[in-house]
Amino acid sequence: MEFEVKSPGTRSELLSAIIKTRTGFRFGAGYTDLIPELRKNGSPVRTIINLARLNDKRFTAITVTKRGIRIGALVTAARLADDPTIREYLPVLAQATSDMASPQIRQVATIGGNLCTASPAGDGACALMALEAECELLNSRNQARTITLASFFLGPRKTALERDELLQSVFVPANSGVRLFSGFIKVGTRRSMECSVVSLAYHVQTDSSGNVVHSGIAIGSAAPVIRFAHSACSLLLGKNLETMTVQDAGRFAQNVLEHASPISDLRASAWYRRQVLFNISKALFSERQGAAETNGSYEGKAHELH
Amino acid sequence: MSTTKLKVVGKPTPKLDAGVRVSGKAVYGCDVNLPGMLFGAVLRAKFPCADIVAVDVSKAASLPGVACVITADSVDTNNISHKRDHPILKKGEVSCLRDEIAAVAATSREIAQKALSLIKVKYRVKEGIFDPFRALEPSAPQINRYGRNSFSNKNIAEEFHYEHGDLEGEKNRSACRIKRRYFLPRVTHCCLATSNITADYSPTERRLTLYSSTQVPFLYQRDMAHALKLEPSNIRVIQVTIGGGFGSKLDMYPFEPIAAILSMKTGRPVQIVYDRREEFLASPTRQMMVIDLMTGADTEGRFTFREVDIILDNGAYTSWGATTPFVMMQTFSSLYRVPACKFAARAVYTNNPYAGSMRGYGNPQATFALERNIDVMAREIGIDRAEIRLINANFPGEVTGQGLTYRTCGHRQALQTVIEKSGYGKTRDRQSGARRYKRGMGFASMLHVAGGAKIYRSDGCGTTVKLDAFGYLTVITGSNEIGQGSETVLAMIASEELGIGLDKIRVINSDTDIKPWDVGVHASRTSFVAGNSLLGAVGKLKEILSPKAAALLKTGVSDLVYEDEYIRSMTTGERIKLDKVVREIHFQKPNELCIANHFYEPNSELQDKEYRGNVSSAFAFGSQAVEVEVDTCTGNVRVLDVYVAQDVGRVLNPLGLQGQIEGGVVMGLGHALMEELIVENGRVLNPDFHNYKLPTASDVPNIRFYPVETLDQEGPYGAKGVGEAPLVPTPAAIANAVSDALGVEISSLPLTPENILKAIVEKHGI
Repeated sequence: MEFEVKSPGTRSELLSAIIKTRTGFRFGAGYTDLIPELRKNGSPVRTIINLARLNDKRFTAITVTKRGIRIGALVTAARLADDPTIREYLPVLAQATSDMASPQIRQVATIGGNLCTASPAGDGACALMALEAECELLNSRNQARTITLASFFLGPRKTALERDELLQSVFVPANSGVRLFSGFIKVGTRRSMECSVVSLAYHVQTDSSGNVVHSGIAIGSAAPVIRFAHSACSLLLGKNLETMTVQDAGRFAQNVLEHASPISDLRASAWYRRQVLFNISKALFSERQGAAETNGSYEGKAHELH
Repeated sequence: MSTTKLKVVGKPTPKLDAGVRVSGKAVYGCDVNLPGMLFGAVLRAKFPCADIVAVDVSKAASLPGVACVITADSVDTNNISHKRDHPILKKGEVSCLRDEIAAVAATSREIAQKALSLIKVKYRVKEGIFDPFRALEPSAPQINRYGRNSFSNKNIAEEFHYEHGDLEGEKNRSACRIKRRYFLPRVTHCCLATSNITADYSPTERRLTLYSSTQVPFLYQRDMAHALKLEPSNIRVIQVTIGGGFGSKLDMYPFEPIAAILSMKTGRPVQIVYDRREEFLASPTRQMMVIDLMTGADTEGRFTFREVDIILDNGAYTSWGATTPFVMMQTFSSLYRVPACKFAARAVYTNNPYAGSMRGYGNPQATFALERNIDVMAREIGIDRAEIRLINANFPGEVTGQGLTYRTCGHRQALQTVIEKSGYGKTRDRQSGARRYKRGMGFASMLHVAGGAKIYRSDGCGTTVKLDAFGYLTVITGSNEIGQGSETVLAMIASEELGIGLDKIRVINSDTDIKPWDVGVHASRTSFVAGNSLLGAVGKLKEILSPKAAALLKTGVSDLVYEDEYIRSMTTGERIKLDKVVREIHFQKPNELCIANHFYEPNSELQDKEYRGNVSSAFAFGSQAVEVEVDTCTGNVRVLDVYVAQDVGRVLNPLGLQGQIEGGVVMGLGHALMEELIVENGRVLNPDFHNYKLPTASDVPNIRFYPVETLDQEGPYGAKGVGEAPLVPTPAAIANAVSDALGVEISSLPLTPENILKAIVEKHGI
């Protein structure tokens, strides 16, 4: 595994690096996925365009506006997990990034990398799918375009990025509800350093009396790409979370399952993935009264997090 | 040896090598860098079962930077393994995916890898046999044609039969008979330092120096000499810092003589270091086995008999691991009192990766089966699970059916301790109702050798102690350090006996040219055997020091104490510095060196042909209680608390002991819940840490340890062996706890979330 490394420090250096690199190249940021991948495949990559030294706010900042929250592609998992704004307004993302891998990996792994690697098991990606995030893509001519995250993922390890494009940031629209029922459930064999066997991201927004005004549900490791569970979201709309019945919870789980088409692999069978996805989806609402101590999910405010 | 007022022994003492380890200064195998060193690499089989039609190495040999390429045709060697059934380089056929076909030495690792890719091997692929039961069928072809086989089937590598008592009589009087089949997976050691060797042959001296991670340097020296047709004494084995042994370095494997051959052919040092993938593919595993077990008990819950039949998947070649039934039969014959036992085990050749030895040496598997059956029996008879264990516990003075003699025995005390500390009986209400999370408690005990294990002609260890003219002590011990902390314990013992500070004691243990003979690190024997050997040597050293000191202090030798680097007269209180005494001995009459040698041979016995005899000088007992919480939505098992009580004889170093206990429990937890090397048709499907799940720090439960001190007269200060034991009962106790939580039977490991969820669905439906 031998390659040249180019480390642009500014946006113009970055764009020029993309234009000038004629051989096969890859972008590298945290390298937690890229290096193992290159080592495994004996890849023909000759050049790495290293983004770790890039000093450009569009790539590195978390910006809050009235419209929503913009997260630079180079923001690390550790920063998202610790950021008070993310923890308060996007608990699903804070939790997904804090459960990811290990503390060492979270220090360098970037959210952009988590998306661009396009793994159906990506935890940050699953949370952002539930948040209905949009991707801002930049090309070598310094032009940006925005596409939905759902259209960003084309298949396992396949994205809508063109050869000269890279992910600049993701944008999450502002919450419309006043209360949040938002969290991330990661199922795996062990408690850390784990690639999700199945994951469920939920970001449910209600009005002050608990009626659902907007909801985002996404599933990971349950299909070739991370899926947004439309029918499950529709089912929740208008429901009151406090008065949901076990039957409602069962219907919700069934609707989530409609979006799953898992495979069997070394980590789990398709049977297990479907079964667990159903169980955790159902438990999400049938056990909500005792949620804080039973499934580790939490509501709303940052200071309530443990 | 005085144990009245111990000053050093029993005090928490950091490991002597802690500083070099944490500062990165320790020299592991991959850190060895000799002038002119070449890098070796091994070409392995592409198919688990095939004829080799042709091997063409010409392109590899002509690649710039390649110094040497070898195949079976270019070497003159003997087969390795204790069965001598393992050719170093394979000729004519391959029998598993690890098989070494060729090897290269080159100026860099990259060139060596490139050279491997240029070697062309033409195969004629054959259908392999991957199921040991299939291998036992008459129609199965012979898998290994090298072994000297006198067993009942051509594909049996090792076979064991043992019995005691009136089996039929005991069966007839049993109120309850439980028969179950248990499946135990392949797990592997996952040493952080991967397999490594640096071989340095000197053509002028005709001497071979090996920088090796072996656990058994003197047996290794002999095995290497046999393999390469050299004189053992012309082979010098220098141990590097070992980054994990756990039994994996008990055997010598082909890559080691291969490195030596490459060095002999090139006249340059050659290093082979596995990468992680190769480590998973080509280093040994614990035996995969199927255990058929029938056990019985009378109406009061007293055990009556055990009948066991075990099939071990040996893989294509035999390692010491095939002799794990030695240890398993002890557990079946002698853990808890049992009047009759019949035991049979067969290690069967297959085209799978071959198994080796691993911490516990078959005992975790045997204990799993036995302790599961005990829980099932308790339920059948309607007797409490803790109670049935107490009723049948081993006791001091017991001589078991197999002839094991329990001079000291803390089994009952260990059981009582974990029953009491775990609050058993008080936690029952936690699992009532239909809650998502269900809690359960499980118990298991274990028996393991703890005073060496006499399986070679000698189970001894030699020690030389040298006190210099400045009062510094050098301990040259035959035993070695593989991370278990024996170096520190030996220094503590010397410090205790001679009153010399730990900072003035050096332990030399890594060079076969210097150190006296020892069997090696295995069977939890080092602190016991090497400790006793050291005590013998220190006694002899005092025979040199004390007369001179007594003369100088004008008193008798029995009036002397060694403390704070002085020798003191107890009656007068006058004292003399230790180094001054040494100088008086060196430079005045009798002009002697303050050096003493001692060889300690434990009083254990070689077993007879019926496997009877007291194979160890002491036995360790332990019990564990485990509380788990099972998520019935996902099947995830969380181990909450592990209560460990273990008969350790005496605590020598509380810090080191705690480390062994915690490490053992976590290793057992991995075996129980997540570890499995998945092999399909002879191929390893998860040769990486991504899919071979090892527990991480966040999976570690609360581990509460209660040492049981029985002060065995044979052990140093009463101590017994410790190293393997804490792992042994953990998988069984976890399985029993999960079974308790869910009300399902558990008959295989690992208890992955998927396997648990399947069991729940089978019991309750979806």
